Amino acid sequence: MAPATKTNGDNSHIVEALNLLRSRICDTGFIFKDSPDGNYSKLKFMISSSVAEACNNSILLLGPRGSGKLAVLDLVLQDLLIQYPDSISVVRLSGLLHCDDISAFKEIARQLCMEHQLLFSKAASFDDNSQFMVAVLKECGLAHKSVIFILDEFDLFAQGKQRLLYSLLDAMQSVSSQAVVVGISCRLDADQLLEKRVRSRFSHRKLLFLPPSIEDSQRLLVHMLTLPIDSSLPSDYAVQFNKKVQNIIEDKKFKEIFTNYLNFDSSVKHLLRFLFYAVSHMDMQTGFLSRENFETAYSSIQRQPKLECLRNCSILELYILVCMKKLEVKEKSLCNFNAVMKEYKNIHDSFQTSDYYARNVCLRAFEHLIHRELICFTDNRGHSLSVEFRPVKLLISSAELYQGLKAYHSCPAILQKLIERDG
Amino acid sequence: MDKEEAPRRMTRFSASTSTSNILHATKGNNLETLTTNELLVGGDSISLDDIIANFPARSSQILEIARLLGPLNSPLLPLFMYGGASTGKTSIILQLFRHLNRPIVYSSCRTCYNQRILFESVLNQLLLHRKNVANCYTNAKRCERPSDFVNFLREALTSVINNLKEKSNKLVSGNKIHGGMGNIIYLVFDNFHLVRDWDKSSTILPLLFNLYDMLKMPEVGLIFISGTSPDTFYSNMGYVEPIPIYFPDYTEGDIRQILLRNQANQKLYSSFLDVALRPFCRITRQVGELSNALKPLFEKYCEPLSDKGKGVIPTEDMKRRLFNHIKPHIASSLNDVFKVSSPASSKVKVGKETKHKGSPKRSERFEEIGDLDFHMSTSAKYLLISSFLASRNPATLDASLFDSKGGSDNRKRKRKASEKVLEKKEILEEELLMKGPGTFPLERLIAIFQCIVSVAEEPYDEEEPNSNELGAECSNGSLISDVLLQLSTLCNANFIFKGKSCPIEGSTRYRSTISENLALKQVARSLKFPLSKYLYRN
Repeated sequence: MAPATKTNGDNSHIVEALNLLRSRICDTGFIFKDSPDGNYSKLKFMISSSVAEACNNSILLLGPRGSGKLAVLDLVLQDLLIQYPDSISVVRLSGLLHCDDISAFKEIARQLCMEHQLLFSKAASFDDNSQFMVAVLKECGLAHKSVIFILDEFDLFAQGKQRLLYSLLDAMQSVSSQAVVVGISCRLDADQLLEKRVRSRFSHRKLLFLPPSIEDSQRLLVHMLTLPIDSSLPSDYAVQFNKKVQNIIEDKKFKEIFTNYLNFDSSVKHLLRFLFYAVSHMDMQTGFLSRENFETAYSSIQRQPKLECLRNCSILELYILVCMKKLEVKEKSLCNFNAVMKEYKNIHDSFQTSDYYARNVCLRAFEHLIHRELICFTDNRGHSLSVEFRPVKLLISSAELYQGLKAYHSCPAILQKLIERDG
Repeated sequence: MDKEEAPRRMTRFSASTSTSNILHATKGNNLETLTTNELLVGGDSISLDDIIANFPARSSQILEIARLLGPLNSPLLPLFMYGGASTGKTSIILQLFRHLNRPIVYSSCRTCYNQRILFESVLNQLLLHRKNVANCYTNAKRCERPSDFVNFLREALTSVINNLKEKSNKLVSGNKIHGGMGNIIYLVFDNFHLVRDWDKSSTILPLLFNLYDMLKMPEVGLIFISGTSPDTFYSNMGYVEPIPIYFPDYTEGDIRQILLRNQANQKLYSSFLDVALRPFCRITRQVGELSNALKPLFEKYCEPLSDKGKGVIPTEDMKRRLFNHIKPHIASSLNDVFKVSSPASSKVKVGKETKHKGSPKRSERFEEIGDLDFHMSTSAKYLLISSFLASRNPATLDASLFDSKGGSDNRKRKRKASEKVLEKKEILEEELLMKGPGTFPLERLIAIFQCIVSVAEEPYDEEEPNSNELGAECSNGSLISDVLLQLSTLCNANFIFKGKSCPIEGSTRYRSTISENLALKQVARSLKFPLSKYLYRN
């Protein structure tokens, strides 16, 4: 039965615990709240001092994806909004959504209107919006109110003419305005992307966010998985649950899995995926996590898609792959279906295999391979040619093919031999 | 023809969504009663055990998704379901939501074929808006830019979630724990791999993958369903990968289990599968294709039995007899696997279409080929043949092939071809194999067309020089305009590909896309035209 249907009766506290853990994992605020990282205090100091001293500032938050740049900034802003409720207004932009100047200024105008209870006109032109922004910045400066611009995916704003960045930073040069620009990017060279006129107006403050070390990750794990004892959960259950978690974490095998997993990518987001998967597989009968949960999580998240794909192939499709590999080894400059068929016929002629099928059957198998993305067309343009003539290339390495053929339990011996011979 | 074909190809995808749509249409005819209930999948409630029983060999995936979706009101990181065609991804997710009775917004990237339609479809469903006569079939919101989409989406989601929360509060106060919809709304994007081929895929893909982080609403669950694995979604933008759920293709044993379902005589069919399934599985492992291919074979298998094998319990002796009966058919039908005249299998028969042109066209082509004699005028057939010749023959040989005197010379020369010429021929053949049919300008096509028409009209005096005939044809202006009209028809039907104008010569170039088989067997035979005589290769 699904965990969802068992909400009644005696295990409601288990469902409650599961819900609590899952909402913790999905809530970035909780994760970074108590992180020992100094970035939180540094960022808070920078922004609050420029708000308090009524000056302009610009900061870049750099770090790999999923290292909590935005989450930390959100925490800082939350605190500052409590500290200075009347003198901060926040404008949020994302490079994914507003990388063209027109929609960026429109969005800024929209958010400023919302903030100051003004009427936003959808029909306003680009010029109107940019003038409006400058005017509002001036007014805010006079009222001693800071506007904080958050530019997520900062590197995308640096594409094109950088008009938005220029006018934003240029407006900040005047004495009367009071604004903070916070750029967030996963490109460590984001400031190098700026034009000279923009760079000269940018104060080069950078905060680097690094993925946590293994020890820190482990601490985070404990922080995430420990149930509170003084809550609505039965306290003996919570105590027992926490004890089990502690046991798992100290387990040697678990440590091995954990470090292996983090070796791929040690960012917090990556860790959270792992936790989420493991927590969702918690045994709903007993209500405790076990090491097996983490083991399944590890094996389900770390996948080898190409080998999986090979396992799905039919024997005929394997033949075609091997033919293509042979052609690749022969260093034929161009390979298409006709060439593959020629090779296929050669194999059949020299070894008298039982798997020799008509051309149309092979063509279908060939198309299956294209759908599986084990092979693909080398050009995107050749719409005028039919499938048989369009050049294709393999998307699988010979090592993978070799490994896949070995693992395929009913693979014809001749194919393995052919691949081995070509190395 | 194409109108008939298109819906048939679509049914698989629309069927999955239509279950909900039809239901809504019947119960919510007046707009006043639209509530958040509209977002449920609908249908009678179904238990998890039933779902597992309905999908053989999928229990681990079903349980996994159920676990990841979690209990009522628990937030969810984005999920990414992937697996090959016909592995049950869409049906399972829809059935699971029918079982869970939670609100879902389903949009398939196949029917919503560009970003605007996708955005508007999601918003329409969320805002409980249905296109009808009263609102002139307009969308709830006009939304083209991603930035507008995110704003509208946030607005719509907040209102729906508030609605849901109110509802569940009422339920709690009414002391009803069961039957609640919860207050999480799930957005499902089906056929997600198609997004990669969209115009703006480089911005829309990171946007959708990052949607969860961008919205920052724990009450939203995102589920992506894709035909290809996550590693095929390369993007220089990057994003944190969603949680993968893998649907492997069915194994031979699973396929057997699936094919056995809904069979009248299980024992007989199982003995049939003992014989037939293994060789077919070597070719393909897609259930749909296999069931199409095995159907006629099973009919043949039952032939020796009275009353088509209904109610017969096969004995060992009978099995042996039937096996001997079917054995010769298996080998031959293996090569016909995809020739069966079912819409799904038509692709290969023609196989002339490029991948990007979409499948409905392919099946349309197939029907046409069968009925070619009835649908094409004689001049169109000649045009088809001349385009085929123009694509296959080198332009330099036109004179010798079509001028009767030159032609005989050529044949004589060919007979005592030196080794060098043979070698050259081989290279040429190879090139033809690799490069495919060549392109040709319109003038050449018309010239060949006139030559072969004149030859065909007077087949008995081939010796007479063609020049007179040619002159006569050319003076007949109406013929040319007719031919041009036919040509544009053939181009539209994709028999002849019309390329862009050549940058050097400046004229438009054409290319024939029909296979030799088709040209020889269907068209030339119906005209009794000696095509092989004019093919250079022969």
